[in-house]
Amino acid sequence: MTVDRRSMLKGAALSAFAFTVGGATSWLTLREAYAQSVPLNVLTPTERAALEALGETLLPGAREAGIALYVDHQLSVDPGDCLLAARVANVPPPVSNFYRACLGALDRAATAAHGMPFAQLSPEQRNHFVDAMRQKVPEGWTGPPSPFFYLLARMDAVDVVYGTVEGFERLGVPYMPHVSPTSKW
Amino acid sequence: MAIPEKVDAVIVGAGPSGLMLAARLSEAGRKVVVLELGPPWEPKDLISSQIWSRRLKWHGANQLEGRNPVAHNFNAGWGVGGSVIHQYANWPRLHAEDFNVHSAFGRGLDWPFSYDVLRPWYDRIQNEVGVSGDHTREVWRPAGAPYPMPPVKVFPHAERVAEGFQKLGMRVSPAPVAINSVPFKGRPACVYDAWCDAGCPIGALVNTFVTYLPEALKHGAEIRPYSNALRVLTNARGDRAHGVEYVDTRTKERQVQMADLVILSAFTSQTPRLMLNSANDKHPNGLSNSNGLVGRYIMTHTGASAFGLFDEDVQNYMGTSAAQLISQDGYAKSSKRDFIGSYTWMIGAASKPNDFTGIANTQVPLFGAALHDYMKRASKGLVKISAVMEALPNADNRIVLSDRKDEYGMPIARIIHSLDEDALKLFAHAREEGLRIMHATAAKEVWAPPGPPALLHFTGGTPMGKSAADSVTDGYGRAHELANLYITGAGLYPTEGAVHPTFTLHALTARTADHLVRNWGTIVA
Repeated sequence: MTVDRRSMLKGAALSAFAFTVGGATSWLTLREAYAQSVPLNVLTPTERAALEALGETLLPGAREAGIALYVDHQLSVDPGDCLLAARVANVPPPVSNFYRACLGALDRAATAAHGMPFAQLSPEQRNHFVDAMRQKVPEGWTGPPSPFFYLLARMDAVDVVYGTVEGFERLGVPYMPHVSPTSKW
Repeated sequence: MAIPEKVDAVIVGAGPSGLMLAARLSEAGRKVVVLELGPPWEPKDLISSQIWSRRLKWHGANQLEGRNPVAHNFNAGWGVGGSVIHQYANWPRLHAEDFNVHSAFGRGLDWPFSYDVLRPWYDRIQNEVGVSGDHTREVWRPAGAPYPMPPVKVFPHAERVAEGFQKLGMRVSPAPVAINSVPFKGRPACVYDAWCDAGCPIGALVNTFVTYLPEALKHGAEIRPYSNALRVLTNARGDRAHGVEYVDTRTKERQVQMADLVILSAFTSQTPRLMLNSANDKHPNGLSNSNGLVGRYIMTHTGASAFGLFDEDVQNYMGTSAAQLISQDGYAKSSKRDFIGSYTWMIGAASKPNDFTGIANTQVPLFGAALHDYMKRASKGLVKISAVMEALPNADNRIVLSDRKDEYGMPIARIIHSLDEDALKLFAHAREEGLRIMHATAAKEVWAPPGPPALLHFTGGTPMGKSAADSVTDGYGRAHELANLYITGAGLYPTEGAVHPTFTLHALTARTADHLVRNWGTIVA
C-alpha cells in the first residue's frame, strides 16, 4: 500500500485556490489573490485589517504572503480539513470563534491603550503592543489569553512566509517532498 | 437506529493497536469490525508539509484544568492509522526498573508483570515491523534480541552535539527507531528528508499502511471510518459487553454494532471518556468502574530542550523527526537524587522551519525583523537536544466527563493534570544538564527555555494491575468487571518510564492479541 517516491514526485504539482472575483471563479495563488484584494469568506474587513497588521508585525512579509487569505480559507472549511495551528492546540471548533474573539480583543485592547484599533497604530506602537501581549494579557483584552494568540498568530505568519516551498527556498534549505502540497497551503 | 449483523469482535479505534488486533483476530478466522472516528487515509494523503501534517491530527478539544493543562492533539491521530501515521518513530524499550516503581520507591504503581514478560514481544515486534539501532552501543537497553537493521545515518547536527556529551563524559549511542536504515521486507530505506511528522508514504517508517492495515484487510476485517463511538452496551446482568453504539458522522445516523468481544483501542483520553459515558444501572459510575479508577493516573512525559547555534551549515534539515542518537546516562531511578524519575536525551532530530516543533518555535519571544534574522541563521545552524522525562502516576491526575457536550450530545473529556514536585525537579535537573552539554559544544550561542515543561506523550487513565482493587484491567487489558471487554494502548501503562510509548504499545498489544487468539473460546463463552 505504499506509493513509489518517483511516481509521487512526478504527479505532484502546485496549484491555486478557486476564488470568486467579480462573480466569476478564478484560480489564483494566495499571493495573487492578496494582490487583487479578493474578499474574504469568514473574516470581516475590520478583522482582516487587524490580522494583516498583526501578521506583518510578527513577521514582515506575512501580509503580502496572504496571511488573511490563508486563515480565512482555513476557517471556511470543515473543522476536520482545517490546517491552522489552532486545530492542534485544543481550540474548540469552529476555530473561527477563536479568531473572532482574539482579533476583537486585539482591537479593543489597542483602543484602550492608544485610542485606535491595532491596524491604525504606528509600526513602533504595534511592536511595543505585541511585545507586551506576548508576555501578559494587556488591559482591555477580553477573550482567550493574549500570549496564546500571539503563539498561534505567529505560527500562522511563519506558515505563510516560511512553511511553503517558496519559504524553504528563501531560507536556502531543500524542500525534498514525497508528496507535494496540491496548493500552497 | 440501525443494527448491523453481529460480529465476533468490534474494535473502537483504527490506530496501530486496533489494527494489529484486527489483523490477528481476522487471521484467526474471526469476523472483525473496526470503528474509526476519522477518515480513511491513503499514502497519497501524507503530504510533505508541516501545515498539511495537521490534518492527520485530532482536531477536537477537551476541557483542560489543573496547574499543567495537557492538550494532546499534537500526539493524537485521527483517521485510519491513528497516531502512528505521524509518529516520529523513536522506539526505545522500557527498562526493567520501570515495571516495579511502587515496590522500589513506594511511589506510583507497579506493572502486573516484569520486563521479562514483555521482552519476547518487543523482540517479536522489532523483527516484524523493522527497527534500526545498535544494541551493543545502547548500553542501557535491557536484554533482548539485536535490532534487525543497523542504525540510521547520523548528520553533522547530531555529531556536533554528541561532542558536547562526550566532553562531559556522557555516553551516546545510535537511537533505536522504527525507520528503515536499509531496505526491509520489501520496503525502501529512509531518504532522510525529515517529513516523518507529515507521514511517510514510501513506507520507510513504520505506519499502519505497511504493517497491520493491509493484513487486516487481507483477512477480511472491515474498517468502518467516520464512526464515532458513543457508548459500550452491556447485557442485562452487566457482566458482559455486547456491542458499541456509534454515530456515522456523515449521515448522523446512530447504529449499534453487536459483538461477542468488545475492544477499546481509542486514544488515551477517549477510552476513559467512552467508559464513563457508558454508565448504566449495573455500572452507575461508568463501565467497570466500581473502584473509581477509570480515567485516573493519567500521565504525560515532560520535555526539556536545549539549543545551540552554529555558524556552519550543520545540515539540521536532514535526517528524521526522530533522534539519530540517544543518551540514557540519567535513566536509572535513584532515591539519592532529589526526584524519582528517569530521563532520556534525544539528539539530532531534524528541523523544519514551521509548526510546533519547528525552528521558529525554538525562540518564541522573537518577532518582526529579529525573527527573520533568526530564521536565516537557525535554518542551517541550529542544533538541539530534548529530554523525554518521566512523570509518576498520580490518582488526582484524571479524566472525567465534562458538563460540556459535543455535537452528538456526548460529554467531552475534562482532563485535570498537574505536575508534582518530582517532575518539576527533574525538569530543572535536565534543563541545567542540557545547558552544560550545549556549552560543551562549539556552538556560538546556547539557550534553554525556562519552562514550564513541555508536555509530550499522553498515557495512563486505564492502568493495568494485579488486583481489581487498584487497577482498571488485568495484565492482558481485560476490564475487571466485564469478561469480554478489553482495553489496549498506552492508557494501560501503570508507569511510563522515559521512553516514547509506541514500541511498548505494539509489544503489549501483540501479547494481548496472542492471548485472545489462544483463549478465544473461554473469553467469548
